[in-house]
Order: sequence, then C-alpha cells, then structure tokens
Amino acid sequence: MIYFTEIENLPTFDAKGNDLGRLVDVGVDPSQNSLRVAAFIVRTPQKGTLCITHEQIQSISVRAAVTTCLAGEIRCYGSDEGLIRIKKDVLDQQVIDVNHRKVVRVNDVDFDIQPMERHTELRILAANVGLAGAIRRLLQGLAAKHTLRLISGIFPSTVIPWEYINLIEPDPARRLKLRITFDRLARLHPADVADILEDLSRDEQKAVLESLDDETAAQVLTEIPTHLQAVLLESFSPERAADIVEEMPPDEAADVLQELSPETSAELLADMETEEAKEVRELLAFEENTAGALMTTEYLVVGETATVAGAIEALRNFEGPLESVHVIYLVNPDRVLTGAVPVARILLAESTTMLRGLTTSPMISILAHRGENEVVDLFHKYNLLALPVVDEKGHLLGMVTADDVLELVVNRK
Amino acid sequence: MNLKRLKRIRMSALIFLSVIGPGIITANVDNDAGGIYTYSIAGARFGYSLLWTLIPITLALVVVQEMVARMGVVTGKGLADLIREEYGLRTTFILMGLLMVANLGNTIANFAGLASGMGLFGVSRYLAVPLGAFIIWGLVVKGTYRIVERVFLIGCVFYLTYPISGFLAEPDWSRALTSTVVPSIQFDSAYIYMMIALVGTTITPWMQFYLQSAVVEKGIKVKNYIQARWDVILGCVVTDVVAFFIIIACAATLHAGGQHEILDAGHAAVALRPLAGRAASALFVFGLCNASLLSASVIPLATAYYVCEGFGLESGIDKRFYEAPTFYWLYTALIVFSALAVVMLSEANQIPIIVLSQVANGILLPFVLIFMLRLSNRADLMGEYRNSRAFNIIAWTTSLVMIALTLLLLVSAFFPKRLPS
Repeated sequence: MIYFTEIENLPTFDAKGNDLGRLVDVGVDPSQNSLRVAAFIVRTPQKGTLCITHEQIQSISVRAAVTTCLAGEIRCYGSDEGLIRIKKDVLDQQVIDVNHRKVVRVNDVDFDIQPMERHTELRILAANVGLAGAIRRLLQGLAAKHTLRLISGIFPSTVIPWEYINLIEPDPARRLKLRITFDRLARLHPADVADILEDLSRDEQKAVLESLDDETAAQVLTEIPTHLQAVLLESFSPERAADIVEEMPPDEAADVLQELSPETSAELLADMETEEAKEVRELLAFEENTAGALMTTEYLVVGETATVAGAIEALRNFEGPLESVHVIYLVNPDRVLTGAVPVARILLAESTTMLRGLTTSPMISILAHRGENEVVDLFHKYNLLALPVVDEKGHLLGMVTADDVLELVVNRK
Repeated sequence: MNLKRLKRIRMSALIFLSVIGPGIITANVDNDAGGIYTYSIAGARFGYSLLWTLIPITLALVVVQEMVARMGVVTGKGLADLIREEYGLRTTFILMGLLMVANLGNTIANFAGLASGMGLFGVSRYLAVPLGAFIIWGLVVKGTYRIVERVFLIGCVFYLTYPISGFLAEPDWSRALTSTVVPSIQFDSAYIYMMIALVGTTITPWMQFYLQSAVVEKGIKVKNYIQARWDVILGCVVTDVVAFFIIIACAATLHAGGQHEILDAGHAAVALRPLAGRAASALFVFGLCNASLLSASVIPLATAYYVCEGFGLESGIDKRFYEAPTFYWLYTALIVFSALAVVMLSEANQIPIIVLSQVANGILLPFVLIFMLRLSNRADLMGEYRNSRAFNIIAWTTSLVMIALTLLLLVSAFFPKRLPS
C-alpha cells in the first residue's frame, strides 16, 4: 500500500533513467475503470506538464516512478476532462461517506500497487479521513517517508473504502462525464440524507436534490429546517419545485409555502395538481401556531355505520404516510366527527363488528383555532398518537400526529 | 418621560436587530474589551483629533467584510472551508493554530475586562470571572442555536450605553463633528502608533471567518445579497459609531480635564465619574462588562467553528456534546484556560499572552486578506459575483495599507518601550 502523500512530488524517470520531473497528481477515468489510476501527471523541470498513461508506468514506489519507455515515446492517457484528479478533486474536499451516512473531508488517499504483465498499476483503496492522514499531510516533505509512516502509525487511522465514497460535484455536465450519481444516497433513510445535506454548500445541496426523484426529494426536504427548504425550492424551476411540494405531506407543504415569497408560493400552487393544491390552500388559511396550522389533511375516515371490514378496505386504499394510520375516524353524513377507533382494535376485532362499538372514550378533539400549546397538553395528558381537529360545528378538518408534536416540543427547547 | 423614550429606543432597536443578523453581531463583538480600551486611550490622549480616522477605517472595514459576506452567500461555504479546499491542509493548520493563539489572547483580554468592570461594581474577580465563564459555557453547551443567537442579540442592544454615556459627557459637538470629517494628521510617533492600534483593533482576522460562517449558517440566498450587503455596511457603521462615542466621551472628559493616561478600560470609567457624572460612568462600566462577556463567548465559539470546519469535524451549537466533541472541547478549553489565566495570573503575567496574541493577529491578517482577495477573484467559485476590476483596485489598496499598518503594529508589539508615556 502507498499513500498519495508518498507519491506526490515523486521523482519520475524514463526507462533510461532520464529525469522526467516530479509527479504532481494522478487521475482516474470512471468511464473505464473507477478504481484504476489512468493518468500520471508530471511537472517537468522546465515547468511544463507531462501526462503519462498508466500502461507506460514500469514501476512505482516511495522512491521513484519509472516509465517503460523513453521520454520521447510517452503518451498521454487522453483528455483531462473525464478524469477525477486525486489532488484537485478529492484531497481536502468534502465527500459523502455513504456507509456512515456523513460528510467527511479527505486528508489522504490510499493506493494499492499492482504489478501487471508489462507495467505496474495503482488502484485506489480508500479515502483517509482520520488523524493519521492529517499528520502525514502536515509533515509531508519535512520528514523521511519511512519516519512518517512510523509517526502516523501512532495515530488512529480512519479509512473509508473507495466504493463507499460519493464525490460531490455541483456541475451537472461534469457530474455526467465523471459518472457521479447519488443513487446510493437515494437508498438511505431520508432523515440521514437530510443530515448530510445540511453539511453541504448550497450548490452541492442542489446537486444532490436534483438527482433524487420527486418523492425522495420531498421526503428529504421535510426533514430539514423550513427556511432551508424554502431556499432550496427556490433554486429549482417552478415546475420541478411544484412536483416536489406536491409529494410533501400537506402540512409540511403549507409550512414551506408560507416561508416563500407570496408570488413564488402562488406560482407553485398554480403548478400543482388541483387536489393537492386545494388541501394545501385550506391549511394555509389557518393562523400560525394553531391546531389548524399544525394538522395534516391526510387521515383515515369512514362513515359511522362502517364495519371492521369496511375499515380494512379503507386502510388498503389509503395513500397517506404510515404515521397517519394509527386511528380511523368516524363521521356522520354531515362530516361531523362522531368517533375515533385505534387501528390496533380493528385488527383484533371480527370483520363484521361495527366500528361504532370500538371507539375510544372519551373522544378527544380540538378546535382548529386553538393554540398549539393546548395540542401539546392534550397529547401529553391522554398519551395520544393522533388528535382530530374540528371546526365549531364539529366537522372533521384534519389530524395532528405525534411526530409533529414531538418536533414542536424539541424545537422549542 | 426619559425612561419611556429609552424604552422606545430599545424596542425599535430590537426590531431592527431581528431584521439584520450576522453583520451586526460580528461588528459589535469587534468592539470588545480591547477595542474599548483602545478607543478610550485614543480619546484620553489625543482628544477629538483621531476621530477622522474612523471614516477611512469604516470604509476599509466595509470593503473587507463585504468581500467575505459575498463569498459566504455565493459559495455557501465558510472561509476556513474555502482555504482548506484551495490551499491544503498544512496552510489551514498553521492558520488555525495562529488563530487559536490570537483568539486565546483576545478571550483573556475580555475576561480581564469583565474582571475590571465587575470590580468597579464591587464584585470580586474571583466571583465574577468564574461565574461569567460558567454562564457563557452553559449557554452554548446546553442552549440551542436560537437561544444563543437571541442572547447575543440582546447583548448587542446594550452597546447603546456608549452613545448614551457619550451624550451625558456633554462633548463639544461642533469640534467633534469637524474633527470627524476634516483629517488632521500629526507626524508624531505616539499619534501614528495610536492610529495603527485603532485600525488593528477594528479589522481583525477572526471577524472574517466568523462573518462568513454566520452568513452561511443563516442561509442567505444569492438573490437577497443586496440586503445582506446592507447588513454588513450597517454593522460596520454601527461598530464605528460606538467607537466614535467612546472616543468623544473620553475626549470631552479625560482629555479636556488633563488626564491623558488610563491603565485599562475600567480605569477610564472611574476617571469619567467626577467629570461626566455617576450615570455616564456606570453606563460605561456596564457596557464594558457586557462587551467583555459577549466577546468572551463569541470569540471562542467562532474559533471552535473554524477549526472544526477546516478539519471536517462536526460542529454547531445545535449538536450535542457527544455529537461534536472536538467543537465543544475546544470551546470549553478556551474559556476555562482564559478564565483561569485572569484569576490566577497577575496583570503583568497576562501581558506576554496578550502580546503573543497581538503578534499572532498581526501575522494572520496579511495572509487572511490575501487569501480572501484571491478566493473572491476566482471565476469558478464566484461566477458573476467575483470582484470587479474597480473593486479589486480598492480592495488591494485597502489590504496593502492594512498589511503595512499591521506589520508596523507587530514591530511595536516587540518593542513596547517605544510606547510613549
């Protein structure tokens, strides 16, 4: 194994031992092989730049790099554009450690020396993000290489295997060329992606979100602070922003629309599907910090005469998020709330049982214009998972879920 | 009636502060115990005659701060981040090391300011310093970003005590205003030294890092950059308005009364009492305690931020201790060490640390300014927001003058005997 700090500034010679210059950087071509070093960039004594293809490297060690041919026969690997340059693009930059789900800064890069039939190749093993790598960088060139290995060996070394590294490139054209995708990121939990996003710069956040599909992007967005959601949404085209907002839970969508300028917010609402836009508009009508502003309009509701079988049918057809399926609400033909049945009770009952017989008592609900403090108190007092919100006449308007209350309480601390 | 007016002023100031942010906090923290002392001496020794320097200082401050704020808004990265990405780990390490030394000295100076201020209120330093340290430590470690920012903003409002005590000192307004707009340079070494010290205390390396991080953290959008620029300009003006009032308060009383020497900022407040009245003096002391405590918290906090930023470690007030251990340990260590230094060491023994910190600041500033200028000219980072040619001329000139003055201050720090008595 050899570190980038050990090959940087490495004296480079041709087959006859003529001095070619010093190695300044190496590049990987992800379109061919994402691990193999494809190009060696050498600074000549005349201050020129020489680029050597990997097939012409005879040997490489901590002492020197030697080519298979004479100075005049050296070929370049190809254009620089499609290369990930280790010093320029990786060292000191922020990258995503997909395995540990966090953003780290690269101190050093570990390579493996692989002798081939007629030449020698370097393969990237891992990014070094720990103290050991930092010490090597700090003392690089000031102490002999073997001394440095001894010194840095004392310190804990944190390495991330290269396959778990996700580079962050804000420029979409270059991202395409370098084959950088955020596919693996999309498979993480949205809350983890949100944590990663918060550590990135604006352009990088945009780059990551852009590459996610609408639904994942919406899930990730709901996990980051509202003002940041607004900043990011504004950086997208109105059509894309509207597509994302559409996928967000209506209460979260209303929150972020409130944060945007009235014009942008109106534009997004106009671009959204009518049904979703209507729900969000209704929520926007409630004053801030009230039960109405806190509630979501995605909840399970059936007529008061329904049976357990009917409830299960409603559950099957429900498209809202999982946290909304703790309770099924019963309403009369005028949509007045008449009861609440915990889903657990439904699962245990016979399919012909009337839901009316399974309701919790007393039925707790709250008026939409009541303050959010009252909501918190009710959740606390009755150990609720969900709380129905009604208007003055008792019509069911929406539901506040425990996760929203928890967020409220945590943010208030 | 008067109280009502005071209340109204305070109210409108609160609203004002809620609109603007990073610029005003950075600017106010800049007027820390060391700054207040420098302005007090400038007023006591040279009366109104140094007031004119405040205008070029404000302009220079605006030029420099605007640049970092712009970088923060456009790149969404802190200055330490950018330096690390452009200049590598070793440069960053050395820079952060110097910054830590510089800021440790600043923090000690601020705890010393707190000790001398509370001393005047009859509170022993053995009580005031540990208590103050405990409060600001607890605030950051236990509090969330929102609470901490609110407390800082409230601290900023109390800088109003300086304009008030300036008015109470009944200065010669016409002379004060004339001296502010008409430059009158004196070619005498003491005067020049004072001038350099004023520049040095106003434009510091840590501010650049702090402002850029704060702008990033606030999440200001590129399209709102115009407003952000006004926040910076306002902040710079406010800093120097406070400086102006400190100078005239001391000029109108101490200088006019023939008392040209003061030992520290607390001493200035004592000297004010017979000349400007108890109220002015008490306000002055209160302002000093407030400024010291605020800076003793913000400066270590800022240090912890950039060190972690530069090395890619977790940081942030919203994180818990176990989530961002280096961040909190750095903050804790800076505060504990500084508070201990003030409690245990005599003033004479504190001086070498403070001098060392001035030296570190002096070495840092040229590098930081040059890095900033080069980074803000990078087309790939800044795009259409990179410096214009005209701005570059102004910025490079400002920076070169600043660098020259700082080097002079650095030299004089090594030869304190040259300080005229």
